[in-house]
Amino acid sequence: MKKRSDVVGVVLLLLVLLVGPLLVPVSVAGAAVYAVIYAVAAIGLSLLMGLAGQVSLGHAAFFAVGAYTQAILVTRYEVNGVLAAVAAVAMAMIVGLLVGLPLLRLRGHYLALATLGLGIIVTVVAIETPFLGATSGIFGIQKPDFGGRVYDSPDEYLWLLAPVIVLGIILARNLVDSRIGRALGAVNDSEVAAETLGVDTFRLRLKVFVLSAGYAGLAGVFFAHWLAVVNPNAANFALSVEFLLIAVLGGLGTVWGAVVGGFAVEFLDEGLRDFIPVIVPGASGEVQLIGFGVILTLVMIFLPGGLHQAFRAVTGLRAPRSGSVPSAPASEGRIDPDQGKIPTNLTSQGSPESVGEGALLVREGRPAPGTTLLEVQGLTKRYGGVVAVDDVDFDVAAGEIMALIGPNGAGKTTCFNMISGVTAPSGGSVVLSGQRIDGRKPHVFARHRATRTFQNLQVFSSSSVLGNVMVGRHLRSRVGLVRSMLGFAARTEERAIVAAARQMIGMVGLAEDADRPAADLPFGRQRLMEVARALATEPDLLLLDEPMAGLSGAERRELAGLLRRLRSGGMAIVLVEHDVEAVLALADRVAVLDDGALIALGQPDEIRTDPAVLAAYLGVEDDDPEAAAAVRDLAAEDAEGAR
Amino acid sequence: MSDFFQLLVAGLSQGAIYALIAMGFAAIFSVSEIINLAQGEFAAMAGLVALSATGAGLPLPMAMMVALLTVGIVAVVMQRLTIAPVKKMTTLTSIILTLGVSTALKALMLLIYGPEARGLPALPGSNFVVAGVSIRAQDLWILGITLVVASAVVFFYDRTVLGKALRACAEQPVAARLVGISPRKATTLAFLIAGLLGAVAGLLASPISLTQWDSGLTLGLKGFVAATLGGLVSIRAAVFGGLLLGVLEALVAGYIDSGFRDAVAFVVLIVVLVARPGGVFNRQAQARV
Repeated sequence: MKKRSDVVGVVLLLLVLLVGPLLVPVSVAGAAVYAVIYAVAAIGLSLLMGLAGQVSLGHAAFFAVGAYTQAILVTRYEVNGVLAAVAAVAMAMIVGLLVGLPLLRLRGHYLALATLGLGIIVTVVAIETPFLGATSGIFGIQKPDFGGRVYDSPDEYLWLLAPVIVLGIILARNLVDSRIGRALGAVNDSEVAAETLGVDTFRLRLKVFVLSAGYAGLAGVFFAHWLAVVNPNAANFALSVEFLLIAVLGGLGTVWGAVVGGFAVEFLDEGLRDFIPVIVPGASGEVQLIGFGVILTLVMIFLPGGLHQAFRAVTGLRAPRSGSVPSAPASEGRIDPDQGKIPTNLTSQGSPESVGEGALLVREGRPAPGTTLLEVQGLTKRYGGVVAVDDVDFDVAAGEIMALIGPNGAGKTTCFNMISGVTAPSGGSVVLSGQRIDGRKPHVFARHRATRTFQNLQVFSSSSVLGNVMVGRHLRSRVGLVRSMLGFAARTEERAIVAAARQMIGMVGLAEDADRPAADLPFGRQRLMEVARALATEPDLLLLDEPMAGLSGAERRELAGLLRRLRSGGMAIVLVEHDVEAVLALADRVAVLDDGALIALGQPDEIRTDPAVLAAYLGVEDDDPEAAAAVRDLAAEDAEGAR
Repeated sequence: MSDFFQLLVAGLSQGAIYALIAMGFAAIFSVSEIINLAQGEFAAMAGLVALSATGAGLPLPMAMMVALLTVGIVAVVMQRLTIAPVKKMTTLTSIILTLGVSTALKALMLLIYGPEARGLPALPGSNFVVAGVSIRAQDLWILGITLVVASAVVFFYDRTVLGKALRACAEQPVAARLVGISPRKATTLAFLIAGLLGAVAGLLASPISLTQWDSGLTLGLKGFVAATLGGLVSIRAAVFGGLLLGVLEALVAGYIDSGFRDAVAFVVLIVVLVARPGGVFNRQAQARV
């Protein structure tokens, strides 16, 4: 736990769970037992929705798997309760893995509907299987006993639950604030940008889903012992809706929200079950669902952040994205002279003060300047009958700046998308550092030490500038899910990540904006932030899609200077840019695309006078035979030259 | 062999019901990218409303009209009150939101009509036997009406200006707005169509599989699976998917174990998605950058 509010929360919760039972009637304590058990399940669901952006509509299935496993192990095989619980949680996680493996690659609604189906399946299997006790379920589960104490009253059971839920909360809170939580938060803001920074969305989502199944399984264990019987109702749809409501009402992704939601929904449930038969005579069955459904709908419409959002509004605390920091248009274009400073430990040579001189971001083991890093051959993209990119070949070597120019719609961004794995090519190959990567996902591209920025900005808008750039350090740090949850191991690494991210921010001249919400930045500065974010991955190959757009003249010069210094450090840079003069001044080589085809490739001076290029830019018609012939010849020649 | 044909007939008849529900999913999803989890509730509600109308003495055709009208209104009101006010509709939001509505509708039906399962009287006609296969008149009604409704829906989308406009809305929202089609109106219309399709399914299914406050849960899930087989946007493929799912279920129930009937949809969903990950859904696979 890093925050004081978490410590306060834990102390309060322990007070409620340890002292509370002595002060309230047994019936209230009984309801509180269910509230805590359901809250444990909802914490997992809240992580799944808040972090992975996915929803499970059948979370009771995992709850039931945990409960049945525990019940069978302790009643039939007399396994020790704690060992059985470990097995029960593992079982729920295995089922989660099997369901998540095929479905999490796809968009959100498949997991939602499949888990809804899973709830039905688990019920069917439980009813149909004699081993699981069919409709009557499994009886005779003993109340747990530890150290000569039997936890058989609501008060005692709450004391048993207290350390469990507190541990569950701490682990979950650590995860939210960790490298993994940050990466998943970024995925929710912009999946494609997070992936080009090396985040393997599928793996992380799968891990969170399996974890959430584990939380539900753990809740099932305590449910089995408390109720002493487990029957097919444990996988009930109504219970899945209740878990979902707890998480949604509390606020998605907020661990504490799930705890508060657990109590709120459980008491609502009890209240509705008592109240509805009074106003609707003869009502029986799952009548509380009406309240669940109505509240779920109202919360989604009017309070999508749940009670957490309401709490923040009341206490005046603001979420980082709510715009509490005014945007500062006046500062646009103003460059603080000190911000050009290079972080000394990232510089190999030259004086830090002289912008445009020393090499930046030199890396041990990077291919020597002149070595081919990226080889693109026959790259083609067809959309139906339209050929957006047609048989494009080029190479990029370490330590060079190459520009990709061409009229609108020439296929420049499509090229970038295919190289970086954002879209799969229809044909051709992309080889990066000797490995074919065409058709692979963007995180594979990033793993080969390459990354990109976007023409249409892909800002992680629920985070600060620093938070955005920290995501860029994802591949340069390694603490995984388990160590993130345990917390202590991650501290040192977090400090290093912050330090490196701040250096990158300083390098692009955004130091004064580092702690502002990224969404509040003016357009041009968001672009610079994306450059810093990309640099944070310490790439060998950097693709920049219109990095100059929206920048002031001074900012453009700063950026050009930065790019030159990165080149001196051995980085290969490919940029798509509309400002042709800026490009010709900066680039070592220029590739010109027109109508999807590579029509010229050469040094800026050659490009400046190339008739085919002039034709493309000035719009000479194909039926002008002389120009057309020139275009063909030059294209052929250049294609040769490129090989 | 007559066993097989018997199962085939039962499967096609049940599959036609799934097809109607699946068309409802596709109608809404293709316009607004919303998965409407209340789709099954439209069917259950139609059955229950018609049941109470016949109980009040209305003749069956009248009761069915009342049910269609009621569900049509409920679908439109649902869209106006719960879908329209949400500015940023993500997949997650739409799923939770429509689950909320569907849960509330379920509970409302439980409160109004109680927990018993009941069935509407079958449509007129006598059952007969062909080559050892007994065919219920209701099966023929179901298949016939589904065929007519599906053709009408396909005709609507492919041949009428309004239908084409709805398509345009899904594919090019900005362009559609420029030529005067509001995505909002289109979504309302899509909900109306989905509501009516669901209601027809519920009315046709009720005499055979009975109607209960929570029948919509499994009906909705199976309709979704059927729609997924067809990529969620194609009406024709949704019909095909529904029939296929119905037949598979009947065969599993007949040759393996009737208890596992409800598991078929889930297994089919997983198999389809594993076999063609992302490919089931080509239009969606491209992230816009």
